[in-house]
Amino acid sequence: MSDPLYTEIIIDEAKHPHNHGTMDSPDISQHDANPMCGDSITLQMKIKNNVIEDIMWSGKGCTICTACTSVLTQLIKGKDIDNARGLPKETILGELGLEHLIQQSPIRIKCALLSLKVLKMGLYSYLADKLKDGGVDNLKEEAASLY
Amino acid sequence: MQAAISVEKIREDFPILKRTVRDNKPLVYLDNASTTQKPNQVIDAINDYYRNHNANIHRAVYALAEEATEAYEATRDKIAKFLNIKSREEIIFVRGTTEAINLVAYAWGRDNVKEGDIVVTTEYEHHSNIVPWQLLTQEKKAKLEYICVDDDGNLMIEQLDTYLATGKVRLVTFSLMSNVLGTITDAEKIVSKCRAAGVPILIDGAQAVPHMTVDIQGLDCDFFAFSAHKMLGPTGIGVLWVRKSILETMRPFHGGGDMIREVHKYETTWNDLPYKFEAGTPNIADVVAFGAAIDYLENIGMDTIRQHEVDITKYALEKMSKVKGITIYGTKDISKRGGVISFNFHDVHPHDVAHIIDREGVAIRSGHHCAQVLMERLNVAATNRASFYIYNTREDVDALVRSLEKVAELFKL
Repeated sequence: MSDPLYTEIIIDEAKHPHNHGTMDSPDISQHDANPMCGDSITLQMKIKNNVIEDIMWSGKGCTICTACTSVLTQLIKGKDIDNARGLPKETILGELGLEHLIQQSPIRIKCALLSLKVLKMGLYSYLADKLKDGGVDNLKEEAASLY
Repeated sequence: MQAAISVEKIREDFPILKRTVRDNKPLVYLDNASTTQKPNQVIDAINDYYRNHNANIHRAVYALAEEATEAYEATRDKIAKFLNIKSREEIIFVRGTTEAINLVAYAWGRDNVKEGDIVVTTEYEHHSNIVPWQLLTQEKKAKLEYICVDDDGNLMIEQLDTYLATGKVRLVTFSLMSNVLGTITDAEKIVSKCRAAGVPILIDGAQAVPHMTVDIQGLDCDFFAFSAHKMLGPTGIGVLWVRKSILETMRPFHGGGDMIREVHKYETTWNDLPYKFEAGTPNIADVVAFGAAIDYLENIGMDTIRQHEVDITKYALEKMSKVKGITIYGTKDISKRGGVISFNFHDVHPHDVAHIIDREGVAIRSGHHCAQVLMERLNVAATNRASFYIYNTREDVDALVRSLEKVAELFKL
């Protein structure tokens, strides 16, 4: 049986997610949940010289949420913050062949993009604290309008 | 012995059950604890109201206004008879159970719960019977306490003794049937403890009223809330019943038209009960159609409906417990549970299960069911939930079980 959503790559990614766990004294720790379905994700990051040196995620999510979170952490680990903050949702969805969710599934898109929302909120809090000039407010808006 | 239900005949009355979903799959609707489908009789009542009788109620003297008022008020009388309510003045139309409980928390709670007092609820409540009490107790610096749920899904009612012994409990509130576990609460036991302590009782009847005979005078509670849409009626209509001696002491909830007797620049006197609590133009058409839903249920008979659901739930529990990798929550004692079965399948997230079986036409609920406190107690993030009603068949259960095989196949379980 094949399914447009539950492809082998997604199920495998969710069964063996990358960067799953927690870390001691992270520089960024951000949490959010989907009130509709109960997906609940925390991202933790260590930042050095403006680079996301390490990232771990914890929480409970469905297959779509878990697979996308796993992919997100792989995409931004080792990237500098400026790079990570601009990460478009299409990139994450594209990695797993989930672009169709944008048009076709207003419910499951929330599962897919929860971790990206958490990432943007986390970076916003971190940068807003450091810069104090409002130059990152767009990040907050982006996070709020992802889905 | 009750007459058996003629499901085939009943299904004829529900146009939506004839449609297909996804790739031409027949609809298997198993989300009745969330909302039920509507029979032609209810749909036609809405249609008829707007086509033939529409006018505002309680005011104008022309023919239409009179007809609309009569039809609206007739539903109040039907409810009184349906639930053995002493006085029609005790029946307030609201938007649903949620608004009913908020009305009590606001209009009664704010005058009767003070600093240091206790409101007792339970671990298996819907958010609508938790959050209004959190808001109230936080505002009043009072405490919210919980009757816990045991491993079998029953309330540990003896915990109530400890709370009542403090002498500070101002209200005990509980659901007559859990929307997640299907557990039927031993209301008699809770009520007798509260009565002995002189503590008022609120019962959330949203899950119970659609599925069994409920006798409000017999229950001997003080507040009772339920919703029309879970019992074949339209969305956006519910009922709050309040014992008259308490209702007479309550200040209004919403101010506005229809709830007043006389309005002057700086003061107002209130309309009679129950109109004092029905401000503004109500949802007239849907109240009228709710009357048609009650007629429909009474025609079948609530004991017959309960018997049908016992049969199908028993069949479902037997069939589902044989599925490899399934965890079913709640009591196995069918006399203590309604037609609600929450389950998990292997370690597949319920959202994934529900999504995959939806492709087979099977509609179940997945998530926390607005009961996150209970999810915490069960130590799960979410569950799947199948819930039955008068139009469900054993074939629907079979379709659910078959669709789970698809999930196993896809996840290589």
